[in-house]
Amino acid sequence: MKILVCIKQVSESESPIQIDEHARWIQTDAITGYKMNRLDEFAVEEAVLLKEAYPGTIIDAITIGPDRSAEVIKRAIGMGANHGIHIVTESDGHQNPFTIASRIADYARDKYYTLIFTGVMSEDQMQGQVGPMIAACLSLPWATAVIRQQMAPDNKYVYVEREIEGGSRDTLQLQLPAVLTIQSGINTPRYPSLSNLLRANKQKLETIQAGDSVQPKLREKVVRVAYPEKSRSGTFLAGTQREKAIRLLKLLRERALLQ
Amino acid sequence: MKQTIVVIVEHASGQIRPVTHELVSCAKRLQQNKASVIRAVILDADPAALAREMADTWGLEVTAVRIPGLTSYNGEIYKSVLADLMREFEAAYVCTAHSSQGMDFAPALSVELNAACITGVEDILEVENRTCFARSIFGAKAVAHVRSQSDISILTIQPGMFRPQKPDKPVGGSVTIRSLKCESVKTRSMGIKQAEADMTGITEADVIVSVGQGLGDKENVALIYQLAALFTKSAVAGSRIICDLGWLEYRCQVGVSGATVSPQLYIACGISGSVQHVMGMRSSGYIVAINSDPTAAIFQVADICIVENLITFIPAFIEVYEKAQSEGDQNG
Repeated sequence: MKILVCIKQVSESESPIQIDEHARWIQTDAITGYKMNRLDEFAVEEAVLLKEAYPGTIIDAITIGPDRSAEVIKRAIGMGANHGIHIVTESDGHQNPFTIASRIADYARDKYYTLIFTGVMSEDQMQGQVGPMIAACLSLPWATAVIRQQMAPDNKYVYVEREIEGGSRDTLQLQLPAVLTIQSGINTPRYPSLSNLLRANKQKLETIQAGDSVQPKLREKVVRVAYPEKSRSGTFLAGTQREKAIRLLKLLRERALLQ
Repeated sequence: MKQTIVVIVEHASGQIRPVTHELVSCAKRLQQNKASVIRAVILDADPAALAREMADTWGLEVTAVRIPGLTSYNGEIYKSVLADLMREFEAAYVCTAHSSQGMDFAPALSVELNAACITGVEDILEVENRTCFARSIFGAKAVAHVRSQSDISILTIQPGMFRPQKPDKPVGGSVTIRSLKCESVKTRSMGIKQAEADMTGITEADVIVSVGQGLGDKENVALIYQLAALFTKSAVAGSRIICDLGWLEYRCQVGVSGATVSPQLYIACGISGSVQHVMGMRSSGYIVAINSDPTAAIFQVADICIVENLITFIPAFIEVYEKAQSEGDQNG
């Protein structure tokens, strides 16, 4: 079995977000650090669990992004992926989900993957589009927010449970090959092992220049980025920690929320 | 030419989901911008009654597609049936819910229709006389304004953002029923498994002390319980990430994929304030947020914002409280 896991590098969640001077996108040089999208870690882990259950399984990890994003491929190899593919973009800014999905689909088209995994969404753009789009590009069945998956004994189907509202689950049987977007909490992502990381550092990644990949026409465009508006008064308490605690106690008592 | 705006009726277990009415009100906002017509579409094995309800409530033209065997949502069927219908209607906008259903089929449908796909839409704006859609990015620390560059745009609308204003005396509603044989070849629905978790603990509390990633370490959960213990009828809850880490059980999770709560007081400790979390708690009576990051999105929805590390602030608050209590006792 061959599995393709699609991963993304995103900024550290604690990193401050500053809008660039033309309000076109986030100022990338203000970002203090990068990491693998947390939600993609569950997708990598789920693939590695399958590899452990089905010896001989090969995992390819693919990412699209500037040079620095090779780091997340190395991490995926550190977790247990076999090969890495890096589609290298020049730009550091916003990437359109359909462009990403088209490029991944174009790469995967003749590679006979049994399963293609993505995270449920990226933490930065939060669109959750790439998985179902890859499926549509390749005419494959798909399921989003998968919280459990089980291969059928004949390896022709995969049984999945997807998370729906209120904690209920929609259960499906998908014909393989299929695309699954993996929900957080399905497993506990492991840390990369030292021996795998050493291998990752030596191993050559397959690199493709984005310019040599497909260039679909953009169907939507980010025209402006703004800071969010407050929906409540949002009073910031001032002073020392103790002064803030005293003020909070007074506020809660005034409203009879605390005796 | 008149534009067509299509609302996809979201329903489950024989009932129209409340978000569907928000989709209609979103469609009406789009309609104000240009002369256009709104149509609703419902897919189901037996859609007649729900279609009638939509037509009567809103005075809309409703197309009900009867598909034998479609007893619950199926992505493959939705994609193929809706692709044909949207072409036939020459839809300019397709409004679906940003829900487990809409998020599942909208991106795939957009590929089929060469359409723009804009997910998690929170508002509609005009920028330089052109329609733009606002959506949160970077954990709701920023908002992107997105403009479609296609003839057709598929939108998934964030629930809770467009207040439905149903007409007093709706007129002109009509239902057209079509029957269609459509079987999903590759995606077989096997039914819904109902939630096992009992959320009543947090949905019935008057005070919720909720914790997020800022907690740092599992052992610090004790602090959250200590804070909650100061209040009567209180409960401890958490964001998804805390439940994923196994620091709290999933029945304590607040947000889109967990419980929706509206206690008198919600204290958000170390919670970043993602859209998914905020949707589950923003109707709380009074919201206090404690976070060491002054730019955390949770401060946008809070009444009281405290920029402090919760690990030191909570003990300081408990100390102040206990001191005040003992002084109160002496005076009394």
